[in-house]
This record gives sequence, C-alpha cells and structure tokens, in this order.
Amino acid sequence: MGFLNVAGVVAGYTAADEILKGLDFTVAAGEIVCVIGPNGAGKSTLLKAIAGLLTPSRGAITFKDRSLVGVLPRDITRLGVAYVPQEHNVFPSMSVSENLEIGGYVAPARTAERMGQVLARFPVLANKRRHAARTLSGGERQILAMAMALMVEPELLLLDEPSAGLAPAAAERLFEEVRAVNRDKVAIVLVEQNASEALAVAQRAYILVDGRTSRTGQARALAADPDIRRIFLGG
Amino acid sequence: MREQRVLTQFLQLLLNGAMAGTILAVPAIGLTVIFAVLRFPNFAVASHATIGAFAGYVANVSLGLPVLPAIVVAFLVAGLVGLASDELILKPFRAAGFITTAIGSIALTIALENVVRFMFGNELRGYDLPLMRDWRFAGLRVGPQQVENLAIALAVTAAIFAFLAFTRAGKAMRAVADNPTLAGIKGVNGETIARTVSFVGMGLAGLGGMLLGLDTSIDPLTGFRAILSIFAAAVVGGLGSVPGAVVGALVVGIGEELSLLILSPNYRSAVGFLAILLVLTVRPRGILGQRAY
Repeated sequence: MGFLNVAGVVAGYTAADEILKGLDFTVAAGEIVCVIGPNGAGKSTLLKAIAGLLTPSRGAITFKDRSLVGVLPRDITRLGVAYVPQEHNVFPSMSVSENLEIGGYVAPARTAERMGQVLARFPVLANKRRHAARTLSGGERQILAMAMALMVEPELLLLDEPSAGLAPAAAERLFEEVRAVNRDKVAIVLVEQNASEALAVAQRAYILVDGRTSRTGQARALAADPDIRRIFLGG
Repeated sequence: MREQRVLTQFLQLLLNGAMAGTILAVPAIGLTVIFAVLRFPNFAVASHATIGAFAGYVANVSLGLPVLPAIVVAFLVAGLVGLASDELILKPFRAAGFITTAIGSIALTIALENVVRFMFGNELRGYDLPLMRDWRFAGLRVGPQQVENLAIALAVTAAIFAFLAFTRAGKAMRAVADNPTLAGIKGVNGETIARTVSFVGMGLAGLGGMLLGLDTSIDPLTGFRAILSIFAAAVVGGLGSVPGAVVGALVVGIGEELSLLILSPNYRSAVGFLAILLVLTVRPRGILGQRAY
C-alpha cells in the first residue's frame, strides 16, 4: 500500500451534491504532486476531503494504510497531514509567533524548538514575529500559512492555491519555498490555477475535469503535451 | 464660588463614572468574550449577574465570609450555572442561528431571574460590610469600599488580559474567535473552548453583579437593571473585543454619571440607549472594531 491513496471518492458539500465523482488519486512519500483543472473541477474539494473537512459519501481515503474517512480534521493534523486552506488561512488579529504557536497546537512540547527552526527557515516571518498577521502582505501571509502547517512536522502538506492573488514575483518566491520544504522529504499536494508554475514545481500531475481525473502523468511530460499547453498553458 | 462648586461636582461625577465604568467592564468583558467565540449576544448575562450577586450574598451574609472570598464564590457559582445553562438550554438553539439563540437567552434570563426570586423573595438585601467613613480630598469624596471594588475590577481585568495574551487556553480562545474552522484544523477543540468561555464569561457576569451590588443593594432585578449598560459598553467598544469592552464601559460609566449634570437620575438609562444609537449610526463596528483582543 502507498502513502496517500484516494480511491473512488464521491464527495460534495451536501449529501446530494457530487463534486468529486469517483476520483482516484495517489501520492508517494516525498513527492510533489500538482492538481490542475478548470474552476469547479473539484480540486479544492479533493483537499478538503483528505483534510477531513468533508466526508465522502463513497470511496476510501487512506494515509499510510490508515483510513481518514470520518476522522476529525484535528486528528488528521495529528497524523501528519497538514492542510493549508486557500483563504482565511491565518489568524488575523494574532501575531506571527502566536499564529505559529497555534499551528503547533497539537504538539505543545515541541513548539519552542519548532518555532526556532521555522523562523530560521523563513526570515521574513522572523523579522515580523510580533506583527499582527493582518498587517502582512499577501505573499507573507501565504508563507505564514505554510509555516504554521510546518509546525507539526507533517509528512504530507496540502496546499490549496497558495499563489492565488499574488504578484508574479511573490508567487515565484512562494514556489521556491515549496521546493525548499519538499527537500526535507515532506510530500506536497499542490492545487493550482497557475498551471505552468505548478507543473514546473511538481514531479507528477493530475488534471481534474468535472470531478474525475482527465489526465495524469509526469509533470514534465504533461507540460510538453500540446493539448494541455493549449488548454491550460495558453499556447 | 459657584464655578468652583460646579467644577467640584463635575470632577466628583467624573470620578464616580470612572469607578462605575471600571466595574461595568467586568460583566461587559463577559458578554463580549461569549460573543467573540459563540457569535451571539447572550442576554442571560443579566440573570447570571443576579445569580453571582446572590451567591456572593449567601457567602458573605449567611456564611460570614469577607468580601474577597465571597467574590470568588460569586464567580464560581455564576460560572457553573452559565456552563450548565449554555450546555442544556442555549446550545440546542445555536443551529437555528444567532437571532434565535439571542431570543432564547432572553427567555433563559427571565426564567433564571424568577428562580432567584422564588428562592430569595423580592426584598432588597445588603451585604455585610464594615462601616467606614468616606475619604475626602480636594472637596471630592470616595468610599473605601468603592476603592476596594475598583481594585478588584482592575485586578480581574488585568487577569483576563494576561490569560488571553500568555496562556495556551487564552490563545486558543482568540484563535477560535478569529477563525473557528482554521482553529479546528490546527487542533483546537471548539467544544472545550465554548465551555470555557461560557464558564469564564458568566463567571465574570456574576462577579460584576456582586461588585455592582456591593455599592448599593441587591434584588432579583439587579442584573436586569444593569444589562442595558453592560450591552451598551460591549457594543460601544465593539462586540467581541475585550479592550473594546473596557473602553466602552468607561464611556458608558462616565456618560451615565455626567448625564446627572443635566438630567434627572430617572433618565440615566437613556445614556446607554443613546450610546448604542450613536455608535450604530456613526461607527457600527464599535470604537475598537470586532477584534477579539
């Protein structure tokens, strides 16, 4: 059995609502997998189902052979799967260091040590550790959200459109950080609108259309595919 | 000479208002922390203030405890009743939305107030306090008991700020107030935080009820008479903001006292309404906005 396995998952926001229509999806330990596709294809829904915010009506989700279906989001965090939502992913009225502290809430004994490591890795946060999160720029906020997830030393990081709304330079820096995090053997699922960047960062990719996998394969091969270039990469 | 007298009267009212406002801040913080986490205005703060005042009365008069331990009893009893009443009565309302829950809290407060009336009757009761002469300076008077009440209110407010700023539970509470879904993902148990906030919030209401009663007397309507000022303080400062509740309480407390310069005491409660009206018209989010901390 693999690291993360999603098999035949049907899920949506209400019982009757099927956004994912029998999706199969796998992630191996330590790899970056990107998920691209049009709006409404079910990319964010997939991450929410893995993170425990949605319970699939059918299908199985396992992480290191343990079922995640019906497990509370906080217990999934404890198992080493850290989810970073696209929006509202920091606590705006709390300082950067308080945000990190809540990020590591499930492992209080290691908080001080992890905080030191995380702040050393992201100097931009170290310089603003006493600032309220609402005063950070969009790029800094996304980095804080990712840093909060790293406080629990996850084995799998789920990033929902981290570059959305960022200026190109800030997005570039963010993808650099994603690569750096992955070098520490953290597997990453990257849901992105920015298909060319995502395919450049990832090793493997899934293209979701209407709740199902339309294409999957090596990211480099998909990036070179003329159909995919035409539809997602603008030429 | 006349100017001198008006100035002294003004300063006396200002002093009284600042002291009243500091005491008002305690139940206003209770109301605002409950709003910050549970997202509804819990008007049962009124009956819990009364319950705290009576619990403190029993401790002070029937059991003969001094004011300080009696205040602790007021906090604990009101907190426990708050925890139970939220768990058993208000929690089932929450799925129906905040207006339904707020109305449910009004019904709850009437019911609890009548339980107090059933047990203690309607007459006015006073705490067992040593008689002490007022202190005078520069033409102003202040009672030693008032100063003690002020010190207690300041200490409680400082303790709440320290709790929110430095403890793990306090930070978790602020995280839930900021973003409950994210706090849940990060491992904060929303149910535990809801219970903590019901206990602490209603405990503060009870403590505040006793502080209000120490200055005058208590009866089953003690909390009901104060709720407008408490609510006004929380709204003026920004519902859900703890520093806002303190600022709002001072504004309302001082405003109510200064109104005596031009109005009969009968119209004093109009100040609360006026403050709410003004804030909702000019700055609907309150003076400090809706930040939890």
